[in-house]
Amino acid sequence: MHERLSFYIKRNSVIHHLNPLTKLTLVLALILIAFTSPWYWTPHLLVLIAIIPLSFLGKVAPEFFKTALRLILPAAGFLFLMQAFFQPVGETVIFKFYFLDMTQESLMFAFRNATRVIVMVSAFTFLLLTTHPSELMSDLTRRGLPGQFAYVIISTLQILPQMQAKAQTIISAQRSRGLDTESSFIRRMGSLTPLIGPLVFGSLAEVEERAIAIEARGFTSKKVKTSLHEIPDPSSDKLIRWVLIILVIISIALKLWLS
Amino acid sequence: MAFINLQNVTYKYPLTKTPVLQNINLQINEGEFVAVIGPNGAGKSTLCYTLAGFVPHFFKGEISGTVEVAGMESSKSTLDEWVLNVGLAFQNPFNQISGAKYTVFEEIAFGLENTGVPRDEMKTRVEEALKLTDISNLADRSPYSLSGGQQQRVALTSILVMQPKLLVLDEPTSQMDPIGTREVFGVIRKMAEDGMTVVMVEHKVEWIANFADRVIALKDGQILLEGKPSEVLTSDVLAENGFGISRYTSTAREAKKQGLWKKENLPVTLDEAVEGFSNW
Ligand SMILES: Nc1ncnc2c1ncn2[C@@H]1O[C@H](COP(=O)(O)OP(=O)(O)OP(=O)(O)O)[C@@H](O)[C@H]1O
Ligand SMILES: [Mg+2]
Repeated sequence: MHERLSFYIKRNSVIHHLNPLTKLTLVLALILIAFTSPWYWTPHLLVLIAIIPLSFLGKVAPEFFKTALRLILPAAGFLFLMQAFFQPVGETVIFKFYFLDMTQESLMFAFRNATRVIVMVSAFTFLLLTTHPSELMSDLTRRGLPGQFAYVIISTLQILPQMQAKAQTIISAQRSRGLDTESSFIRRMGSLTPLIGPLVFGSLAEVEERAIAIEARGFTSKKVKTSLHEIPDPSSDKLIRWVLIILVIISIALKLWLS
Repeated sequence: MAFINLQNVTYKYPLTKTPVLQNINLQINEGEFVAVIGPNGAGKSTLCYTLAGFVPHFFKGEISGTVEVAGMESSKSTLDEWVLNVGLAFQNPFNQISGAKYTVFEEIAFGLENTGVPRDEMKTRVEEALKLTDISNLADRSPYSLSGGQQQRVALTSILVMQPKLLVLDEPTSQMDPIGTREVFGVIRKMAEDGMTVVMVEHKVEWIANFADRVIALKDGQILLEGKPSEVLTSDVLAENGFGISRYTSTAREAKKQGLWKKENLPVTLDEAVEGFSNW
């Protein structure tokens, strides 16, 4: 039975010791800068001089690259091809594939957009790898995020793998009763419909029980909540956040000013 | 006045046509350990929800009569006040895992975080609770990686840690092996001796005979019988009404017809049966 139900990897690094809000700010700042900076090479540079070094600093580089190879690069590659071929910009055709043209302009455009997406997804991957989700949520709740909102996010993060495991169990159970899960796509879709019932309705009835269970443990109590883990927020963290915010403002200002 | 006081309680879920609880009158004293038995659909879980405040505050529906627990009256209180005094654990342990926590330790602390217990006190209380139910070794595991029986212990511990005045348990040992069941009954017995009031739905009659102070037999939403375990669990009425009864009781009942059981009372547990059969 695999124990890891979140991306989080417990390591002892500078990054792990940052306040969760600081890491969230960092991620959002990277994304905002990648998308707003007027300079063409900004997103590429961010990957090279910020995100990759940060993954080393956080001692999660192996896991980071594994996720990047398996998830991020294929998605970005697909996006790149789509945009390179279908974006109707530019005249300088450099490649022809039947009726599809790839122009230098569309290539440049696609390259930047794909990299922006890489920044976005890899920054979040970095956050998930180095930040304990419940710490992030308790920190945000402490700062005024509604508890219910935090709960929805965090339980979804946890419950998705559960649903997946359950779907697997149902499939195995049905297959042992002769359910066809290996032939053509259409036939499989047809034969998979009996799975939806147990998965969805099972979940709805479970939702009620879960609501009772968390209610019984004072979830909607009007008392001021406390948290098990102490989440330090030293002034160095506050400083980092301000610097990041200023960088974002500069990036947006330049963009507005130049356009 | 009794710690729990139900007067003429009748309740109907929004979707049911007939009342699920009918004219329930029940008084339970502080520190009593009361077991509830009954066939499927008898209303046992509904009674638990009523004591824990979820009927009517969560399920809505129509309720009449009065429900008083620990000096609070249900119709005049809100659910979040109620749960501070009354703890509820139920059968399916999987759905009792909050889903917001990554370790058993954090899971058990969840209720204390919600009710604003200071961090230092929280840690000591969680550690003590883990020891009490003997799951300290699971503290760092993910609650989802545990077996059903272990999850049930976590669910129970998550409630015990909140130190409720009334503990309501709906089949809390259904997925446990005999050793686990014995330990849990032992823990609950001890809690009752320390002054916690316990109401527990349970099918394992031999355990009830050994540990509970009183048994309530529920059928079709009504209290059929109520009294000492040795009396209620051996009553002919139970056998006639489709309740689960101990095999020692049914054996001795047959034996009595043949004149092979000489004692006045029928046994519930193995020890009583052995004692009765060997001393005649
Ligand atoms: N949420 C609900 N809405 C409508 N009817 C319900 C609801 N929950 C239970 N009932 C009905 O109320 C009756 C009593 O149910 P309850 O769950 O209290 O029985 P029980 O004694 O706990 O049974 P079991 O031994 O199966 O756990 C049943 O007829 C059931 O169908
Ligand atoms: Mg029930």
